[in-house]
Amino acid sequence: MSFETLIDQLAGDLVPVRPRRLWVDVGIMLLIAAIELALLFAIGFANLDMHRLETQPTVGWRLVSLGVISVAAGFAAIRSFDPTYSAKGSIRWLAGIIAICVVGGLFLGTLPEGVSALLQRLAWTNGIGCASHIALLSTPPLLGLMLLGRRGAPTDMRRTRLLVGLAAAAWGAFAFVFACPFNDPLFIITWYSLGCTATVLLARYLLPRIARW
Amino acid sequence: MTEAQWRTLMIAAQTGDAAAYRRLLDELGRWLRSYYSRRLPSAMVDDVAQEVLLTVHAKRHTYDPSKPFGPWLAAIARYKWIDRLRAMKDGLTDELDEGLAAPDLGEAAHSAYTLDALMSRLKPAQANAIRLVKIEGLSVKEAAERLGQTIALVKVNIHRGLRQLSELAQAESHEF
Repeated sequence: MSFETLIDQLAGDLVPVRPRRLWVDVGIMLLIAAIELALLFAIGFANLDMHRLETQPTVGWRLVSLGVISVAAGFAAIRSFDPTYSAKGSIRWLAGIIAICVVGGLFLGTLPEGVSALLQRLAWTNGIGCASHIALLSTPPLLGLMLLGRRGAPTDMRRTRLLVGLAAAAWGAFAFVFACPFNDPLFIITWYSLGCTATVLLARYLLPRIARW
Repeated sequence: MTEAQWRTLMIAAQTGDAAAYRRLLDELGRWLRSYYSRRLPSAMVDDVAQEVLLTVHAKRHTYDPSKPFGPWLAAIARYKWIDRLRAMKDGLTDELDEGLAAPDLGEAAHSAYTLDALMSRLKPAQANAIRLVKIEGLSVKEAAERLGQTIALVKVNIHRGLRQLSELAQAESHEF
């Protein structure tokens, strides 16, 4: 096809468009997150047990850490749907935030004495349940971000998919805190990380296929 | 036409002004052909430039009117360039098992100034293997004899070199 023909066709197809707005996308994601959380409370999966909040010191740490990671990664992911945005700096910041959160959690507990104590504290049957719940709860924000990514034009897919995965995973873990009865930081760091990793891997696989342009 | 004029035309196009859009695409077509003629084999230039025009059309809502137009267009052009380099790499990798001769690509690669600049950053063994087989059109066996390497090593060097080339191109695009 010649350039002239192509240009004629494209000009003929032209319809007005509303430029993509960052805050609209942020609003959509906040809405998805709020609806998911409200539904979890409505069906009784999540609960705001004040006694648990007072007696389990890790609840505050989990909520603050995962909330901050989720918001920071989500905002960076949405920004990375802009073709001119480079996510390199955001990922460095996020890595620092995650490291601070993990180290903060380690200060709340003690290290296990021996292998048997470690295995007991890890309670792998419960842990697998936690990890799979987190992966499941990450699905709505993951889908939302992938659809926004498809509408956008990410040019650094490798970093974008990492940010999308991290944001969705951290949100899934944040929502799960309201249902999680466990309080051992070692258990939480191990199994929450595994649940989050599953979501990050899923985003890594799916995003390039959905948002490719 | 200046970048500021492109921006004005794009803003008009986003509101549905077909005449402004036609002018803009015409200008962009010229710019893109010039952009890719320094980066890709000449046979691919028109094809990729047209692909970018289609992309500009499909993604025109992602342009923020409050920002300059040039970086937005350059980001899209670079993305498609890297995409094409990757496709070239994949296509060439498929041929590795069958003899690897690609004379048309070799001739074109001579004209790809940026490609040459990137190749100078590869390991000498990888760059030499790519030059002999992909640019000069030698068979893997002939290249292996000339380089004093085994056939398997030449194949590995080409494969790794092309992969590195794609990564270098991507890294360079994000440093811009």
